[in-house]
Amino acid sequence: MSKFIAYGLRAVVAAAMAAPIYWVFVIATGYHGAAYSIPPVWRPLFHWAPFLFVWTHTPWARYVVNSVVISASTIILVVVTSALAGYALAELKFPGNSMYFYVTLGVMMLPQQALLVPQYVVMYHLHLLNTYTGLIIPFAASTSGIFLFRQFFMKLPVSYREIARLEGVSTLTYLRRVAVPLARPAVATTVLLTFISSWNQFQWPLIMTVSSQLQPIELALSHYMQAYQSHWRELTAAALIALLPILIVFALTQRHIVSAVAGGEVTQKD
Amino acid sequence: MNRRVPLSEDARVNSATGGGLLLWLSWWNAYALRETLVGYGLILPSLLVFLVFYYGPAIFLMYIAFFHWNIFASQSTFVGLHNFSVLIHQPVFWQSLLNTGYYVVLVVPVTTLLALALALLLRETRNLRGGGLSQALVFLPHVTPVVATSIIWVWIFDPTFGLANAVLHFLQLPQLGWLSSVHWALPSVMIYTVWHSVGLYTVLFLAGLATLPKQVLEAAQMDGVRGWRSFRRIILPLISPITFFVIVLATINTMQTFSQIYTLTGGPHGGAGGPAFSTTTDSLLIYQTAFLYLHFSLSSAMSLVLFALILTLTLVQKLIADRMVFYR
Repeated sequence: MSKFIAYGLRAVVAAAMAAPIYWVFVIATGYHGAAYSIPPVWRPLFHWAPFLFVWTHTPWARYVVNSVVISASTIILVVVTSALAGYALAELKFPGNSMYFYVTLGVMMLPQQALLVPQYVVMYHLHLLNTYTGLIIPFAASTSGIFLFRQFFMKLPVSYREIARLEGVSTLTYLRRVAVPLARPAVATTVLLTFISSWNQFQWPLIMTVSSQLQPIELALSHYMQAYQSHWRELTAAALIALLPILIVFALTQRHIVSAVAGGEVTQKD
Repeated sequence: MNRRVPLSEDARVNSATGGGLLLWLSWWNAYALRETLVGYGLILPSLLVFLVFYYGPAIFLMYIAFFHWNIFASQSTFVGLHNFSVLIHQPVFWQSLLNTGYYVVLVVPVTTLLALALALLLRETRNLRGGGLSQALVFLPHVTPVVATSIIWVWIFDPTFGLANAVLHFLQLPQLGWLSSVHWALPSVMIYTVWHSVGLYTVLFLAGLATLPKQVLEAAQMDGVRGWRSFRRIILPLISPITFFVIVLATINTMQTFSQIYTLTGGPHGGAGGPAFSTTTDSLLIYQTAFLYLHFSLSSAMSLVLFALILTLTLVQKLIADRMVFYR
């Protein structure tokens, strides 16, 4: 009996959490004025015409490309810098090794909101305002990425590195050909987490960009929101453009993402 | 490896191999030196990013806050605490601190308790059909982009056509003005924030619950400790480190909420902040002061205050946790 109640409660909670995302579909693909109906509409009609209208009347393709370029570059850079630093922390003995561990950790402790102004000034002096580089470089290194790779490399057998050294293989070649391919789970986790955080970025592009040519999708959406006040069908259709890539990636990799965020396995069967 | 003792003995016993040994020694030093250099080379890329974009600005912040700093002028003069004295005479600064306090004091406990409850619920029913799906749906909002999902929440909070008032109407409760009301604008943002972030903390609790030692739970069950008593006396103390981590993380995150406040209470009000500054929190005011009114030094003074607040709160929580957290 109590199992039954818990089961029902769980279904209600899960439905409530998903409801707002469900309604993005309902309104974006509904009939004209679906958002103004009392009581609210519950069923999607799968009218894709308004979606196509929104897609063709605003340069969303451009914004999506911007987001893709920014996310892809960030991902590549984060994987490279994390693999390098993670390897150094895990395998190499050098003065300052443990200090760098704390330097990496300390970045997470700095409150991002308090750093906006000085960061903006730094970007101004580096002439990076309103550039793609300025949207990418500050996120090119990540604490969690470094820790993930460090953890993974610490589990690699020492003999691999010994053999590589005896064979005269350089560190970079060893990393590229042996260590990183073996650390595929760490790569996957870093790619996924970086994708989510850089696709969802809003505040940094908001202060960094002036021209609409560089805007990633989230920023473009916020301008669109102010221009199309309460035109719900257009707004939700546009929101769907930003949401879909995330929803697709999440649907395919949710188990991996959840355990990556939790820093371990979250389900344990009896 | 013990290099000192065999070295001296070897050298005395067999002088013929002395040359080889010296060679080995210098090779060892060269190897250690090489390893050091390689190590520095490998950490350099990430170190540069951290120094230039995080630690550098953190130090630079002090400079801007104590100097009347102008991004367009080449010189600046030391003004001491001037920026701070301007700050404390601005009513909107105090309003923003109050709003932030109100927001944090409600969001952190509600999110933490809700996340713990959800984690227990998901764990209890994990072997029933659809456990994985439910967990995914609870977590899903956390990965969605804030602006995109804010759009639908603005509709949900619409006083006439929105879902929120439809639900209230269905429950026969009085309907609210939500985002357009001075009293309900910030609570509306809180609801969004809880929806958007509770999945993250639920998953953290689930990870904590998954590591509970089975023997302890089973022993307790055999001794007849069940239900609330088992939760209160066994589970809660065992997961207290996770609870502490969740509270600290939630505090740091909620104190810096920006995107949803900007998007949910933006629009016709120009730079956002809600009706009558009702949703102007510290991070919003920092943004507006710097990037709307271009007053960088005043904004930096506010940033320093926020910095100090977050640091103090984290330390206080650490002190409390030292008394309450049970580390296995």
